[in-house]
Amino acid sequence: MKKLTPFTVTVYTLLLLLSISVLIPILNLLAMSFSDPLKVQALGGLDILPKGFSLINYQVLFSNPLIVRSIFNTVFLTVAGTALNLFLTAMAAYVLSRTHFVGKRAVLILLIIIMVFEPGLIPEYLLVKDLGLLNTYMSLIFYKAINVYYLFILIRFFQDVPDSILEAARIDGAGHFRIFTKIMLPLSKPGLATLGLFYAVYHWNEYFRATIYITDPNKWPLQVVLRQFVVQKDNASLLGAQNVLSYDKIASLDFASLQAGMIIVSMLPILILYPLILKFYAKGAFEGGVKD
Amino acid sequence: MLQTKWKWIKRDWVLYVMLIPALIYFITFHIVPLIGMKLAFQDYRILGDHQWVGLKHFEVLFSSPAFFTVLKNTIIISAMKMIFFFPVPILLSILINEVRHGKFRNSVQSIIYLPHFLLWVVIAGIWISLLNPEDGGVNLIRNFFQLPSLDYMTSKDHIRWVLVFSEIWRSAGWDSIIYLAAIMKISPALYEAARIDGASNLQQLRYITIPELSGTIITVFILNLGFFMNAGFDQVFNLMNNSVISVIDILDTYVYRIGLVNGQYSYATAASLFKGVIGTVLILGTHFISKRLTGRGVW
Repeated sequence: MKKLTPFTVTVYTLLLLLSISVLIPILNLLAMSFSDPLKVQALGGLDILPKGFSLINYQVLFSNPLIVRSIFNTVFLTVAGTALNLFLTAMAAYVLSRTHFVGKRAVLILLIIIMVFEPGLIPEYLLVKDLGLLNTYMSLIFYKAINVYYLFILIRFFQDVPDSILEAARIDGAGHFRIFTKIMLPLSKPGLATLGLFYAVYHWNEYFRATIYITDPNKWPLQVVLRQFVVQKDNASLLGAQNVLSYDKIASLDFASLQAGMIIVSMLPILILYPLILKFYAKGAFEGGVKD
Repeated sequence: MLQTKWKWIKRDWVLYVMLIPALIYFITFHIVPLIGMKLAFQDYRILGDHQWVGLKHFEVLFSSPAFFTVLKNTIIISAMKMIFFFPVPILLSILINEVRHGKFRNSVQSIIYLPHFLLWVVIAGIWISLLNPEDGGVNLIRNFFQLPSLDYMTSKDHIRWVLVFSEIWRSAGWDSIIYLAAIMKISPALYEAARIDGASNLQQLRYITIPELSGTIITVFILNLGFFMNAGFDQVFNLMNNSVISVIDILDTYVYRIGLVNGQYSYATAASLFKGVIGTVLILGTHFISKRLTGRGVW
């Protein structure tokens, strides 16, 4: 154990304060969402324990058809999007990881151009419109089908698979597609899992393109509904869709705590997956930092 | 030579087939929109051909006071983040590195990385509630020190600081990873020798850690410079309201508003082309300066 010098005391105190400043606002929202609506007024912005206990906020949120639908929409978008991401990225990475692939240089140059120049919002929007993808999930799923940066990561991953294994399969008569599906993919499970997590977080958090491209509220993902309700404070549409609670119960609701509940719901998957995210992401970021 | 290449192509024709979906994707969703930027030099029409109008939209852009306000905001907000946000992850990594107690260190790290994974919509929700003039945490602390409550979210004098501090809250922890990694690379022998010579913690910091970190600091700084024109669309988009729009409207939010909300497609494309050109010049410029100074660039 180290001695307690003024220096170490300062370091520990500063870090403790920082962690508290991150945790308090989140715990405060959690407390607010579980508080009794009649007592929540007494809950200050720094409290982390609920005043009274009530599940009414979650009851309201989960009985709202718009919110329930949006949760299903987000889950669907995340699963379908991630599956497509992984398949397309892996297939391209396999091709680009083959040493003798003629034309590799040209494709890599194309990828660099794509990484440096961004066309901006309007040409993107008009393209999606011209393709007839407005108001369809395809606009969200196809738009980011391959992330160039992740593609580069996977290429490096595939290059690490020993050539001798692939050569052996080739001699046994396996073609590229068989080698890809039967050998490369199973051997690269950790890499694919990491990338899948990256892509899934991305899809779960997508809201901006959905705001632009999806105009039918029934197709909105959760984050768009969240924004509508929490950032733009559109309380009317949220309660308008309400049908399970009696009038006085609605009257007794507290909007701030409802919003708190909504924020908690939307970050739940991230919080549940957090240990995994930390393991993969933080390790990747750490090694990325060392590598340069 | 050519013959061996041809041999490889014939043998590997399946690879080309496997690459087709990716190529279709990249060309459709990345190259076609690049060509679509020609709209900046045309008048957009719903039906029929778009007419070429040369630099008309750029002339309107550069003579518009609104555009200059937005450009000014972008530069001010980016500069404020450069000055006040940039050093925080460095300090943080130095603090974390001083902690030898494994459990405490791990908990601190897991906690301060967390906001990086939250969406700006969520963070905006958290901060709006935190800065609430009635019972938000920040105002409770102000009241404790006998200061009157302040409505930060609608105050033109404070909203840019809200941007800086919420950025610190979200990213300082995560961004400290790269510096921590660099600190771990420093040879323990250096510290050992310094300790034998009787150097205090602060002296070790000053004469070993900070000089050893300077390479990484310069690289990250130059990289950030390249992204100067991106003042943070998601953040501003979610923290903006009508009372403060005049001081935090940045190029990206401006393009979104005049383009998608008001439907002036050509004008908005001209604005984002302007931003794109400045951004590319900054990225290429910093890349070559960085190659000169540190021997490594952006790629």
